[in-house]
Amino acid sequence: MEKRLNGILTLFLVFMVQLTFAQDKTVTGSVSDEAGLPLPGVNVIVQGTNNGAQTDFDGNYSINTANGQILVFSYVGFATQRITVGAANNINVTLAVDAAALDEVVVVAYGVQDKRTLLQSVAVIDSEQIADVPSAGPQDLLQGQAAGVQVVNSSGILGSAPVIKIRGVGSISSGSRPLFVIDGVPLNDANQTTGQGGQALNPLGDINPNDIESMTVLKDAAATAVYGSRGANGVVLITTKRGKAGQDTRVSLDITTSWSESTDQFDMLSGDQWRQFRVDTGKEDNIADQDQDSFDWPSAVVRTGFSKSIDASVSGGSEKSSYYLGTSLSDQEGFIRGNELKRRSVRLNLNSEATDWLNVGASLNYSFNDNDRVGSENSTFAPLTSAYLQRPVVTPFDEDGNYVNTGFIANVLAIEDLDINDAKTTRFIGNVFAEADIFFDGLTFRTDFGVDRVFLEEQERSFEINSAGGYARNRVAQQNKWILTNTLNYNQTFNDLHTINGVAGISYEETDTRQIDVEGTGFLSDKLINVTSASDFSTTNSEGAGSRLFGVFGRLGYDYDKKYVLEGSVRRDGSSRFGANEQYGVFWSAAAGWVISEEAFMQDVNWVNLLKLSASYGTAGNDRIGNYASLESFEGGAISNYNGNSGLRQLSAANPDLKWERSESFNVGLSTSFFSNRLGLNVEYYNKKTSDLILQVPIPFTNGGLNFITANVGEMENKGFDISLNTVNVRNDNFTWSTSLNVGINENEILSLPGASIDDQGREFVIGTPAQRAIVGESANTFFLIRYAGVNPETGDAEWLDIDGNRTTTPTANDRVIVGDANPDFVGGIRNTFKYKAFDLNVFFNFSVGNDILIDGLRFTDNANTGSFNKRTKLLDIWQQPGDIAYVPSPSSPTFASFNQASTLQLRDGSFARLKNLTLGYTLPTQYLGEDGFFSGVRLYFTANNLVTFKGDDLDGIDPEVTDTIGSLGQGESFFTAPQSKTYLFGVRLNF
Amino acid sequence: MRKNIIFLLLISVLGFTSCDDELQLEPEDQLTLPVSFSNKETSLGVLTGAYSAAQQDDVLNGTRQAIADWMADNVDFVGSFPTFQDISAFTQLSDNTSIQAIWDDNYETIGATNLVIKYVPTVEDLDFTEDERAVAVGEAKFLRALVYFNMANIFSQPFSVTGGSNLSVPLVLEPFDAEVQFPSRATLNEVYNQIELDLMDAAAVLGDSDNSRASKGAAEGLLSRLYLYKGEYAKAADYSNRVIQNSAYTLATDFSFYNTQDSEFVFTLVNTSADGQDSGQGFSGLYNPVPGGRGDAPFSDNLIAAYGGESSIDKRYTELNQVGNDAEGNERVFTSKYPDGVTNADNAPVIRITEMYLTRAEANFREGTVIGDTPLNDINKLRVRAGLAPLAAITSVDQILEERRKELAFEGHRRMDLLRVLKPLRRPGMDDVEKSNPGDNKTIFPIPSREVDLNPNLVQNPGF
Repeated sequence: MEKRLNGILTLFLVFMVQLTFAQDKTVTGSVSDEAGLPLPGVNVIVQGTNNGAQTDFDGNYSINTANGQILVFSYVGFATQRITVGAANNINVTLAVDAAALDEVVVVAYGVQDKRTLLQSVAVIDSEQIADVPSAGPQDLLQGQAAGVQVVNSSGILGSAPVIKIRGVGSISSGSRPLFVIDGVPLNDANQTTGQGGQALNPLGDINPNDIESMTVLKDAAATAVYGSRGANGVVLITTKRGKAGQDTRVSLDITTSWSESTDQFDMLSGDQWRQFRVDTGKEDNIADQDQDSFDWPSAVVRTGFSKSIDASVSGGSEKSSYYLGTSLSDQEGFIRGNELKRRSVRLNLNSEATDWLNVGASLNYSFNDNDRVGSENSTFAPLTSAYLQRPVVTPFDEDGNYVNTGFIANVLAIEDLDINDAKTTRFIGNVFAEADIFFDGLTFRTDFGVDRVFLEEQERSFEINSAGGYARNRVAQQNKWILTNTLNYNQTFNDLHTINGVAGISYEETDTRQIDVEGTGFLSDKLINVTSASDFSTTNSEGAGSRLFGVFGRLGYDYDKKYVLEGSVRRDGSSRFGANEQYGVFWSAAAGWVISEEAFMQDVNWVNLLKLSASYGTAGNDRIGNYASLESFEGGAISNYNGNSGLRQLSAANPDLKWERSESFNVGLSTSFFSNRLGLNVEYYNKKTSDLILQVPIPFTNGGLNFITANVGEMENKGFDISLNTVNVRNDNFTWSTSLNVGINENEILSLPGASIDDQGREFVIGTPAQRAIVGESANTFFLIRYAGVNPETGDAEWLDIDGNRTTTPTANDRVIVGDANPDFVGGIRNTFKYKAFDLNVFFNFSVGNDILIDGLRFTDNANTGSFNKRTKLLDIWQQPGDIAYVPSPSSPTFASFNQASTLQLRDGSFARLKNLTLGYTLPTQYLGEDGFFSGVRLYFTANNLVTFKGDDLDGIDPEVTDTIGSLGQGESFFTAPQSKTYLFGVRLNF
Repeated sequence: MRKNIIFLLLISVLGFTSCDDELQLEPEDQLTLPVSFSNKETSLGVLTGAYSAAQQDDVLNGTRQAIADWMADNVDFVGSFPTFQDISAFTQLSDNTSIQAIWDDNYETIGATNLVIKYVPTVEDLDFTEDERAVAVGEAKFLRALVYFNMANIFSQPFSVTGGSNLSVPLVLEPFDAEVQFPSRATLNEVYNQIELDLMDAAAVLGDSDNSRASKGAAEGLLSRLYLYKGEYAKAADYSNRVIQNSAYTLATDFSFYNTQDSEFVFTLVNTSADGQDSGQGFSGLYNPVPGGRGDAPFSDNLIAAYGGESSIDKRYTELNQVGNDAEGNERVFTSKYPDGVTNADNAPVIRITEMYLTRAEANFREGTVIGDTPLNDINKLRVRAGLAPLAAITSVDQILEERRKELAFEGHRRMDLLRVLKPLRRPGMDDVEKSNPGDNKTIFPIPSREVDLNPNLVQNPGF
């Protein structure tokens, strides 16, 4: 009996013990990173079950599990850890940063994607590449940083607008700028400032570069088709900085001081040299009879500009919310006298988990720019232009030291010191969103409401000394946009093999512009500032316009085991800009890829981290065709009135078939990464054909006197390679050296221009400038000039080549031939980063090879004959006797007065490599900050911009990076365009 | 579950909105065609716009008239303006830009009148009465007829030479409506017939309230000019008489009527400094001496002799001339009918009653009739006003033609007045006499080369 009871008891014990084994228990612990800081939000899952928890604000977790089960700890950016539950009830975990996983996610249109399975052609510029770089705007940050993106600064004037081309020139007569989107809000970018002889200011100059976390450039149709009628020129997505939930508050204060100087200036004759030159060329009899004054104008209009800025930001978060507050104040002085720019901006980004299924957030930005402008280029009120043209015997002051009026070539010292010329821009950009997990796992619904309001005020007042009778102008221009976007996002993986991600959405936006201009002359006193005091109102004008866009879009991607990837997208856009017969357009793309490195046969090849082949094809559109271009226009006003009665006249023809310009692009790419991501190489080939280019096709005058119809008729092609190479050359405890190189090779060709004028060789062409055309069979920016052959050493005559190649001293317009191309063969940048202990050195070159530039101002500075303008010192090289090799022909030659005429004499090879950025920084080692130090980081840095430029020998005093127009035609020309400035900056960054 | 239903409702509301209406955005600073003809005011605005188009210098404001004068014997060409110089030497080519501009601007005016003629009857506005619509259409038809008449006279050989079977200008009677047209040239007869039809329609409905706009008198006056050029003298006498009998128009007593709306004018185009001659190459810019004008168009010696030379007592010379420098700096005699060389505000004299008297006299003389009055009385009225002794009798039509020359000099008539009576444009001893005979190739303009290149249906004039 006792024995049986023992057996039962033993069984019972065993049973009890077994139950004990199988019994749930609660395991707790904390998760921290390698520095010992707690990690909130870490996912803790019991493997193989749906049982999961998250670490709290202090990194602590608590989960129901059982011995023998495996807990999986995972967190974005960190290597996942698996720990088997043993007897202990307390498990603390340290997670290590996963270097490769940090780049896991890429921001794309309307969502994010896994980098390893990404098929779209994008270039990402992250915060490391843009930190410490003083820049004027987001376009500056793109220069030389992304393969296939060419940025050309148009002028050294503060706030000037750069030209951006993604994969070549996108259009002829419609805009070719890419679309900029910041936190989901497409930005207003109409040029509303007046040119003042040059071109308008940067319409994106109000975005504070220090607020930018990263930028993604969308290049091919697979990436941009979902932007539909606005994607043809590429899209730049800007993501601004945000706080992290549960993060300690971080305060950052960045203080900089910088000074800037001019890089390149022409060397002009001094007063003495001028007087001697006039005698040597037979224009004056002797020196003593001439005006004896001397003044160095070119030096007087430039200066060393001192600038300072303060950027302060606070970011942090609680368990469920996070915020980022960034402010920036900067006062910049340009190297041109009278040019200053004050910028103020504030940004507040908020994120909050309102409930466990609802996230809300806002991104708000307010900025104010006050630009004290200077004229530029084709205006005698422009400092650099007038300083070069002004004869050195003219002085800006009289004997008593008062300013004088110097006539047609204005006294730019008086203008910049006395006159008012301001452009003030106030901008508010905001986006609020709500994101909800709905219905079933993996599906979220998101609604975004965004606003972009730009308010510009320009004020000019030219006082009596500069404009007889005084002159005042005031202009107010507004661009207001609001946009509502609703999207459904779905991301889910089934059976660990099939991943589906998709987005479907609807978007509607309205943009309205309005402007008011008033001008007046006839002021009794310089103390009367505004137009209200004028006696004669030469302009009173007010205009308004707008556009509407409604889009429906979707994108669906599928990958099998991260190896085989497919993606397609489609968008249907309706725009108020399109003609009544073409109100809606459909754009689509399809892409496929093979991630070879995920295949089983590649698992043992350890030195290959990523090997991916992808190809895509799709369509996109360009809607920069004008707001009402498809409608006929009856206009009133002075031209339509008769004998006191108001009238209406039809001034343009309707085209109800007018629509977007369309691009079809094909892209194939190879992405690789080797040796634990120490070597990364991406190579892509693209072919983009743009058709339906808008041209003005002439029609017979018998059609109501209307001279042309605006129609979609032209065709153009861009093709080339985008290559980027990233290497970590040396990595050890004290020293790392990494290199990043990107090259964009592009060839642009015009395919057809129906209805355009035909030249003597039978080719259709569209004129960009007197020296540049878009010609069928050539590029859109082809230089078309007479060839200059030099001064004949025997005769002292200047000679040119006629159309047949024979020398002549009397060329005509019929002798013009194709002589060059303003588009480069390739552009790019190379960055080398060195880190040695606490020091870091960043050397960044950008380059452009194969582009020609036309220095149009040389027609004036090299005019040997005139007594009205100053000349370059190069003109002292005059032919005197047979055998001389000289620059200027003999004064007695019939070509003396004509040798400076428009020809290849002003054309140069504009290839260059520029040390755009050199940064040396020192980060104070943590031991000096102290245990409970007030600062958590201190960094000092010194940056030099545009320090050295390697360029052609014949570019002395000429900056090769210029363009005096931001339109598609007429690139690469300079008419006294201000050069880029050399800037030295010293900064301190304090983190708290 | 309730949450999901709410989401479903939210998505369906936000997701299925359509914005078709929003995409039909109307511009704020320009009107489309349907809006321009949506009511009476805007429709009459388009008619005003047609007059405004006619104010372009090469339509009614002088360029065309001056070029015609340079081809004839009243005016010398002085200076270097290349397109004008070529025409005055009968060497013009089909790519002459002044001729191209004339074609462009005149067809623009025709286009504006076509819009009014087609759409005014369709305007939906109860305040726009049938009579008002008929008057608007009548005004547009007059303007269209006037412009076609001017165009036919320079781009095709005259009726007197060909009888009207030659090719003239394309007859475009429909406004532009988004589809580009490539019309071929109509014959001179077809053009003249359309002009006659339009003027008859206009005369039937117009009144005579404002001589700066089309009127019954203007329509009938232009008809008399048309019949005169066609050699239909009986009708010419009839219609010129109707205008003379019209109480709205009377002969001025002296020559101070220029640049006013005196009842001497049957139709005059009113210009101001802010709204009128626009290119510096209209009446004021071309006919004035330097510095106000270009100094390109002084009296020819032949014309001065026609008035009786330096010792003339003809007030049409003595009161209407000014001495000044020409484009080459030499002192010459110029007309002072358009004295405002500074702001170019002078009016264009299009039809005046004096022309009616001259037409009636000539037509009556040729037909042997005395409709309204005898030719002798008509001519003497004009001679007495000019301070000359009246004639005892008219023995030759040349006397009437001489008076016409002296009255209407510098008003755009001389060239056709010579060609319609088959006289050479130049007098013996003048330059290029041999190229100035009626029917010579370069006494008319070429069709602009741009038009011939763009429109394969156009046949170019011989010799170009």
